[in-house]
Amino acid sequence: MEDKTKRYEKVEFLGEGQFATVYKARDIHNDNIVAVKKIKLGSRAEAKDGINRTALREVKLLQELKHPNIINLMDVFGHKSNVSLVFDFMDTDLEVIIKDNSIVLTPAHIKAYVLMTLQGLEYLHMNWILHRDLKPNNLLVNSNGILKIGDFGLAKFFGSPNRIYTHQVVTRWYRSPELLFGARIYGTGVDMWAVGCILAELLLRVPFLPGESDLDQLTRIFQALGTPTEVVWPGMEALPDYIQFKSFPGTPFRHIFTAASDDLLELLENLLSLYPLKRCTCEKALKMAYFSNKPYPSPGSQLPLPSSIQPNVGVNKPTLKRKLMDSLEGVSQPKRLIF
Amino acid sequence: MDDQICPRCKTSKYRKPSMKLMVNVCGHALCEACVDLLFLKGAGSCLECNVPLRRCNFRVQLFEDPMVEKEVDIRRRVLRDFNKREEDFNTLREYNDYLEEVESIVYNLTNNIDIIATNKKIEQYKKDNRDTIMRNKSKVSRDELEIERLIEMEKAHEEIRRKECLKLEEEEKKKKIRAKEALIDELMFSSADARNILETFAQNAKEEVKAQAPVPKATQFSTGIGFGMQQQSGFLPLPKVDEGVPFIYSAMEIETDGPEPPHWHDIEKTGYVKNVRSETDQERAGGYQANIACLRALQEALLGLYHVAERTELGL
Repeated sequence: MEDKTKRYEKVEFLGEGQFATVYKARDIHNDNIVAVKKIKLGSRAEAKDGINRTALREVKLLQELKHPNIINLMDVFGHKSNVSLVFDFMDTDLEVIIKDNSIVLTPAHIKAYVLMTLQGLEYLHMNWILHRDLKPNNLLVNSNGILKIGDFGLAKFFGSPNRIYTHQVVTRWYRSPELLFGARIYGTGVDMWAVGCILAELLLRVPFLPGESDLDQLTRIFQALGTPTEVVWPGMEALPDYIQFKSFPGTPFRHIFTAASDDLLELLENLLSLYPLKRCTCEKALKMAYFSNKPYPSPGSQLPLPSSIQPNVGVNKPTLKRKLMDSLEGVSQPKRLIF
Repeated sequence: MDDQICPRCKTSKYRKPSMKLMVNVCGHALCEACVDLLFLKGAGSCLECNVPLRRCNFRVQLFEDPMVEKEVDIRRRVLRDFNKREEDFNTLREYNDYLEEVESIVYNLTNNIDIIATNKKIEQYKKDNRDTIMRNKSKVSRDELEIERLIEMEKAHEEIRRKECLKLEEEEKKKKIRAKEALIDELMFSSADARNILETFAQNAKEEVKAQAPVPKATQFSTGIGFGMQQQSGFLPLPKVDEGVPFIYSAMEIETDGPEPPHWHDIEKTGYVKNVRSETDQERAGGYQANIACLRALQEALLGLYHVAERTELGL
């Protein structure tokens, strides 16, 4: 086996997470730009238990997954006690795009993003995998405008009748009500809820339900959607962490998303249904009128990119200083006073 | 505007919306009713500064600030005499000095500084420049001239544009007739397929329509002043909308490399469901259903049954 540490040439440091550092690197075999995720092992004491669980999950799942909207794990190699994963290089993520005020997201752009997310997610669910950490930050976008679901650190197989899952998954703002109520066995609904929150965030350009604590999260959900009753959500009171909430009437989506079209609101209502079994599946969502109606989803090349990675950054406007200099040069003739 | 109060009768705009404040040369305001009452004889003195005023000099106050009102009035009066123009001076410097002088006169009169001296200055100026003043008064002001010139130009432009339009229309008509004739000729004498000929002609016509240059959007009035908010609009420009391809859903296929697992409704119909532990209320509330586990187990059981490792070695 060749030495893979030499195959990838570090280009620049990209970022550091809790468990890993990410580098931009060049594959010297074919000059492709890739992202190398080096799993931190840390001190001896930490390394005692072996390789990090999230990294193992990522490797195990991603090695078998292949879909245009799922991040592609190209290579895994070890060096000494380190493990590195080699991924497609992705230029940005949806969080950056949402937060960039200079980007205008048209309905067609939003449709394209949600469509790609759902297509990737459908593939995952078909293969009995829950992502469990969907958020704009984990939806990576490359310069061709292709969205890929990334970060499989929390992903897990679902559909075992007697396996207990932890409910402490998904970043709080995108966590579904059943998880917040402590459900220990759940289904694809948790991912669908997160997609709903992401779609809402694409429309609002700010997080839809930015809860400050788990309780505040539930309050915000019920304020927006209305407090569920046993009729709306059968068995809700049997959930482990169920708490009685003040009954909120809920706000119609039309009032929150004033500019959204009817077919979009229909999709959103289905994605953000409080009762997990009534929440639509990827297949049902993709079959909805929203995706086949106009405006058609933008092709990848049309999707906006944040200014930081746009090629024409160099062409900047003349600065104020420059303007002042120009005007100073042009004062050879006296100015006419205008009263 | 609501806090306008007549200094004499204390009527305010709020109590009497129809109240009108009037000002005279001194810049002090009075309401219309008080003016009628006090200046019954046609003349009198200002209540505040005792300046003799004439009734006919009262005007409706246009500006909220009486000082502005006064300044406007004085300026108008002064400019009636100080009506020299740039052409009347040898250098720009002289003209600028002259403008400054006018401004200081207006300022002095408005703020009651050296009124006597300033008035004397005006008289002196009038005497010295009587000829120029008269001459300039008779001339139409330069601004008016400029406007007239612009109107003239606009008319000329309009005429040219109209002619051009007519010409274009004429040409369009001729072109159409010519194209038709060419098509008929082609159909009569050519040996090619009639349908092909028709198609090429239609294609040509389409291309011609495309080739016509798009009319540039008007962004200026005829005077050269831009209209609308072109540069300083508060919103980001909407990116050009380019329609994508409509999305048509097609069900995803998984390669199982094995027999097709049974569908859920078949399992339900044949009663196998009885052998599957159904979900509890709590599990259902969490979004879990027994069929998920059942289907997955069935799929996994059948997965890869047809798979043979390294087929080539076996000669398949």
